[in-house]
Amino acid sequence: MTDQVTFPDAVQWAVPFFIAAILAEFLWIAVKGRGGRYETRDAVTSLIMGAGNIASGFLLGFIAYAFFMWLWQITPLNLGTSIPVIILCFVLDDFRYYWVHRFGHRIRWVWASHVNHHSSQHYNLTTALRQTWTYTFTFMMVVRAPLILLGFHPAMVLFVGGLNLIYQFWIHTEAIGKMPRWFEAVMNTPSHHRAHHGRNARYLDCNYAGVFIIWDKLFGTFVPEQEDDRVDYGLVHNIGTFNPLRVAFHEWVGIWRDATQPGLTLRQRLAYCFAPPGYSHDGSRDNSDQIKAKHLARHPEDRGTPGFEHFEANQPNTQAKQA
Amino acid sequence: MPLDILLVLVVGGIAGITLLLHLTGKSRLCVLTPDVARSEWLRHAPDDTVVDVTVARDAHAALIRTDNGSGLLWSFGADTVARPLLDFDLVEHPRGLEVQFHDFGTPKAIIHLDDLERRHWQHLMEPA
Repeated sequence: MTDQVTFPDAVQWAVPFFIAAILAEFLWIAVKGRGGRYETRDAVTSLIMGAGNIASGFLLGFIAYAFFMWLWQITPLNLGTSIPVIILCFVLDDFRYYWVHRFGHRIRWVWASHVNHHSSQHYNLTTALRQTWTYTFTFMMVVRAPLILLGFHPAMVLFVGGLNLIYQFWIHTEAIGKMPRWFEAVMNTPSHHRAHHGRNARYLDCNYAGVFIIWDKLFGTFVPEQEDDRVDYGLVHNIGTFNPLRVAFHEWVGIWRDATQPGLTLRQRLAYCFAPPGYSHDGSRDNSDQIKAKHLARHPEDRGTPGFEHFEANQPNTQAKQA
Repeated sequence: MPLDILLVLVVGGIAGITLLLHLTGKSRLCVLTPDVARSEWLRHAPDDTVVDVTVARDAHAALIRTDNGSGLLWSFGADTVARPLLDFDLVEHPRGLEVQFHDFGTPKAIIHLDDLERRHWQHLMEPA
């Protein structure tokens, strides 16, 4: 199939909206005296990461696109570009996003790309733009392969992916508390996504949704934001640099240093690359299960509450299994 | 979108927002008191029990002694970063001390100390 289909690059066209919305949020916080925090260097780092993400798309985007066009050549299916097909593609691509995002938190190789998005201790609209420069190297473009093989044109798949990212921009704010109940039940919202950005034990590895929060509810990863457990934003071990190059590459460097240290078995080296973040061959680090178990040892009253349901029937176990 | 317009928007947007934030006082560093330093350390390392806190006179760094060893907490923009003092080099710096962490994501912290403080901190940071 070689038909010409073009869609606009939605993210690029949204740049003026991003800038206007950041200014509006900043003014809102200044006038109201609540609803978030801004810090100069943190915000500048986030904005440069966003610009770098667009630049990496120009430089490396051809790799994914070439892969998608090859798939398009071999698939016998073509669903066309009608509005219902675009809507269906959007929903299925959001399902794809859920899994890529979940892999991004549970596979260190993918986390190395995604970690920079969580590296700010702030949560405002600039945080939404703190995006990866190294997504291509995760090879997560393969998760989109089924969509294209099913007959969704690559240009359409990339277009709806852009819309997905634009949707996620506005949920990176503390200026909005809760949306109407029906909306909170179905859609990803600022409240749900604040929990996702939390480094609190309760909020580790939850709320991976892009647009529809239903995926988290279906697959057991939903944790509602708790009024009595204020979200503490950032990483379990926060980084101490505003340098965008260090932000972009620090976890890749960490993988390299860990996996190449002397005296490890091949299995241990691979685990440093692909096991969940927090893996260590000597037990010197904690993964999210271990962090939650240690939290419950300090706060047994949290047992069975949101984010700790899996520990309901278990005893505290600080030697929780490593991946 | 034409590339030249995109470039102007991105560069202009970043520059404008940076200027706005700086001029409205959003570049101030977090100010540490002993209580703030203690609670910030426990935020970073909730398993620790804090034994003792020494805050630098400029209020942007603190040495924390815990049951798991010593650590350094320092202002990082409006927030803080904390690291245990396990694998580090201590280097003299014109304004105090530079702590090098051998960590690509947290390469160093520069602590502003006067001469009297510097000697005291060097003593406190020596490996036990």
